[in-house]
Amino acid sequence: MKSIFLLQLQRLRREPLMVLSMLGMTFIFVFFLGGFKTYGQLDVPVYLDQSMNEEEQDALLAKLNESESYVFTETDQKTAEKQVALGDAAFAMKGMSDNYRMLTAADDPNQVLVDQYVKQIYVEKLRLKEAEQATGDADYRSKVEAALVNAPITLTASTAEGESTSGGYSQRNHFLFGMTLFFSIYTIIFSLSKVAEEKRTGTWNRVILSPVKKLHLYIGHLAYSFMIGFLQIVFIFSVFRYGFDYEIGDNYGMILVAVACYTFAVVALGMLLLGLVKSLEQLNALVPIISVSMAMIGGAYWPIEAVSNNVILGISKVVPVTYGMEALKGISLGQSMSTLAQPLAILVVIGVLCMGIGINLMERKV
Amino acid sequence: MLSSFFYTLKEINQTVSKMALKGEYAVLETTNLKKMFKKNVAVSDVNLYLDKGESVGLLGPNGAGKSTAISMISSLVKPTAGDVTWHGKSVVKDPNVIRMYLGVVPQDIALYKELTAVENLRFFGRIYGLKGKALESQMANVLEIVGLTERKNELVKHYSGGMQRRINIAVALLHEPEIIIMDEPTVGIDPQSRNYILEMVQKLNQEKGMTVLYTSHYMEEVERLCDRIYIMDHGKVIASGTKQELTSILSSEETIWIELDRSYPDLAAELNEMEGVLRVTETDNGIKLITPKNSRLLGSIFQAAERQQVQITSLNVQVPTLEDVFLHLTGRKLRD
Repeated sequence: MKSIFLLQLQRLRREPLMVLSMLGMTFIFVFFLGGFKTYGQLDVPVYLDQSMNEEEQDALLAKLNESESYVFTETDQKTAEKQVALGDAAFAMKGMSDNYRMLTAADDPNQVLVDQYVKQIYVEKLRLKEAEQATGDADYRSKVEAALVNAPITLTASTAEGESTSGGYSQRNHFLFGMTLFFSIYTIIFSLSKVAEEKRTGTWNRVILSPVKKLHLYIGHLAYSFMIGFLQIVFIFSVFRYGFDYEIGDNYGMILVAVACYTFAVVALGMLLLGLVKSLEQLNALVPIISVSMAMIGGAYWPIEAVSNNVILGISKVVPVTYGMEALKGISLGQSMSTLAQPLAILVVIGVLCMGIGINLMERKV
Repeated sequence: MLSSFFYTLKEINQTVSKMALKGEYAVLETTNLKKMFKKNVAVSDVNLYLDKGESVGLLGPNGAGKSTAISMISSLVKPTAGDVTWHGKSVVKDPNVIRMYLGVVPQDIALYKELTAVENLRFFGRIYGLKGKALESQMANVLEIVGLTERKNELVKHYSGGMQRRINIAVALLHEPEIIIMDEPTVGIDPQSRNYILEMVQKLNQEKGMTVLYTSHYMEEVERLCDRIYIMDHGKVIASGTKQELTSILSSEETIWIELDRSYPDLAAELNEMEGVLRVTETDNGIKLITPKNSRLLGSIFQAAERQQVQITSLNVQVPTLEDVFLHLTGRKLRD
């Protein structure tokens, strides 16, 4: 088993291009979509109603821009309408003293999230206004703000979509998790495709004819694919955590467990594909189809919460990416072990099932 | 003629049975070996044996079932029926009884081409339990045998076809097997490399006493290397014995080899009708006739050539070769 494992490492040393290119692609896509710092935050054009005075306008803009996920840029009504009409912006917002309007040209999943965020700000604003009127105290707002600085109890509600207090859902983290899990599928399954290649060249049979047990031969290959996928994900997370201040959560132990469960499930899925295909060429054709579909359905490209189609949501329940994303997002939001146990357990179950069926199918081919 | 062929098969079965009764076993033996892929019979009732130090050839055209037979013999594929025994122990029941003592040279270049020859040898040595100095020494030995010591650190993918074939053989020799099975080890290489490999196999058999099972569809290779030959066609062993025993199947016949300046189908057709001609085969530059011994047909052949206005460039009367025996038994050439 050790010899098989070391051989794969030696082959990787000679031909590292595939693994390096997947690492490179992950970096490019996360940078492009998630951004280094502010790049990648959703830009929302805002035009403000003339009834608002300058002080009110500044206060509203400052409040809106407290979010790390969105940048609200002030513009005039005509420019905003033109941007939406030409598709330069998916939507724009009209800010009024006690109300707001969203200007949209087409359905956009981000619009729902922005709408929720803005709504929350207005609800809070109107509550304070009502309280001011009810108490007749003109300084009521500043008193509340002062009291909140040293609040006796702080209640923080977190959801899988992000911290509710800031509206959000962290797009940066989403793209980091999504793209990393997506490209790791390629690395893992292509590294496992060495089995199909060995069967074609005859080296597989040559090893079978040696005293090495078939079980050890499988374990050697599976351990290598697991290791290469696991290290790729951990390396990317480490670079973005320490190099670019991505907040992926502080529970590193849980992150490693989640990555391990996900990698195991994808390795097993790779074995299932190996069992199903008849040739290396078929596998090479199938991998991009499977990985892209899994990433789309599993919420690696966009939040699964933005999907409302029941069929897609149903399919997403059998896709490892869904549970990998769920677990990683949960860890980044500081969810408890008991909450994370479910997605991790499902990943292990998917892994065991795929591995069992995959090895069985492969052995039947001989 | 046919009786002598059946005599050969009968003789083998009797020899095998007598040996088993005495408690003496051939090094390797197959009994009624059969392999079916769905409803297709790939190999059927193959009985063969190899004694220690023997060099045995398995001859047959492409698709005859040679590779399937050796896959079963080497324990890679489980037979549908029959058994393979190694020193009397069933390989089918326990494949491990043979694996440590067996070296297999597959038809394909079963190597990691992105690695060097030394890296390949080191990996395959390790999986056979070799390590340290023993491994290094064995690697040096086999590299010497295949003549690649000087180029051992080059990537296999940069080797020529002949060199890849040689390192393919070196891997099979690494653990000093008792028996080596070679599946068409000279396919697709230049005559020089081919000759080198044949000499190497001869040395391994004659000087190191290694038992060799050599499959090929090149008649001359098998004739040169093997003490005994099994001829396979359509999944069955159709004849076996020493070269002399096999050619004696055609002892009452002779081969007339007519060399022509080009192909003349009309002449072949006329010769086929000629009384006393048993078989006519057209080749690229001539016609081969199998006739009864001393049939005195030369005059008639020249007359036919005169009638067809054909230029005969040479004419030879030969004793039958293995190729003739194969043609006689199967009705087709080895490389058809």
